[in-house]
Amino acid sequence: MRVVHYLNQFFAGLGGEEAAGHEPVRLEGAVGPGRGLEVAGLPVDVTLACGDDAFGEREAEVLARLLAWIEEETPDVLVCGPAFGSGRYGYACGSLAREAGRRGVPVVTAMTPDSPGVLAAEGAAYVFPTGSSVTEMRSVLPAIASFALRLARGERVGSAEEEGYLPRGLRTNVRAERTGAARAVDLLLAKLGGDVRTEIVPTGDRVAPPPPVPDLTRARMALVTEAGCVPQGNPDRLPGRRANAWLRYPLDGVTSLGADSYESVHAGFDTTAANEDPNRLVPLDVVRELEAEGRIGALHDVFYTTTGVDTPVAAAAKFGQEIAAELHEAGVQAVILTGT
Amino acid sequence: MFVTALPTIAQMIGANRILRGVSITHPTGDPSLAVGDELALRRQIVERALEMLATDVGPMTVWETSA
Repeated sequence: MRVVHYLNQFFAGLGGEEAAGHEPVRLEGAVGPGRGLEVAGLPVDVTLACGDDAFGEREAEVLARLLAWIEEETPDVLVCGPAFGSGRYGYACGSLAREAGRRGVPVVTAMTPDSPGVLAAEGAAYVFPTGSSVTEMRSVLPAIASFALRLARGERVGSAEEEGYLPRGLRTNVRAERTGAARAVDLLLAKLGGDVRTEIVPTGDRVAPPPPVPDLTRARMALVTEAGCVPQGNPDRLPGRRANAWLRYPLDGVTSLGADSYESVHAGFDTTAANEDPNRLVPLDVVRELEAEGRIGALHDVFYTTTGVDTPVAAAAKFGQEIAAELHEAGVQAVILTGT
Repeated sequence: MFVTALPTIAQMIGANRILRGVSITHPTGDPSLAVGDELALRRQIVERALEMLATDVGPMTVWETSA
């Protein structure tokens, strides 16, 4: 059995943040957490390590070097991390896991469920959820070591629900003993009994309702939308689905989202009515009226837009946090977010 | 606050101030109305949104446009 383990500069003992630009290196045997994998029964033959910044900034080049080493080793399993809550490390683990996975190498990694590495892995690797703190190392290592052993031996592994890894977005055909109708009724009865079973994972992201805006007539208000509303011609190429970015557009001197100047590029609904009058998506005309009447203090001078279709929740949450940070910085106290 | 025609989904993701929009394809308008009536409807929606922004609400509260 051949086992390769990937670590960042910190866990490989190459240095801390000052070594985040460290070149990829190939080390013999187990290093750092790899020793914990060995204690748990998974012998590590080769450790690959790289600085997190080097990986993030020169991803293509670094990946090529790491993958070349992996190709030389032809491992039976690759273990990346665990990365816990470290975003850059998680991203590196997820990206390497994806690329190795797509080349036929079984890969297991572990990180917080909202790590960018989970998205980066794109279902090509088994990602086990962890907390954000390294203090979980002692319990995480044996779990991924035993799973990796099974992968290396080519054993069948069960579903995400059975095994505890994060859903990979893959569907597997299985033979059910009972008809869909009977199983649907069972699910409904179970749900009525309080037992909710679904493969659609709730985000669990609960924020307490913010207090009311004390005085809207003095408040700065902003408009935000996921309706894919952009200037005509979509100058910044906002994707119609699976948006990878949000955009902001100026509203200085704009009193209405006219059909001659704005459109929706959202691929998740019929935009005919919206494109006849984009105020049907972002109610700028009316908000300007209310601003002129003094009902709100002032409208923020840009509006924010993205397309909310097929967007992974983690990506959408990231957009939301980034937009919210800007709004907060700009002193915006009230937001009308429109969704389609 | 969130204006959407799919308030249950808004609740699922944990939005707190949710106002039911007109439809998925035009949350703040209605092409079946005459222009003046549609504008009045949009104003009603935004005024209701302002009211909600100024009101203390519990988690995942859904309001309809007309009180």
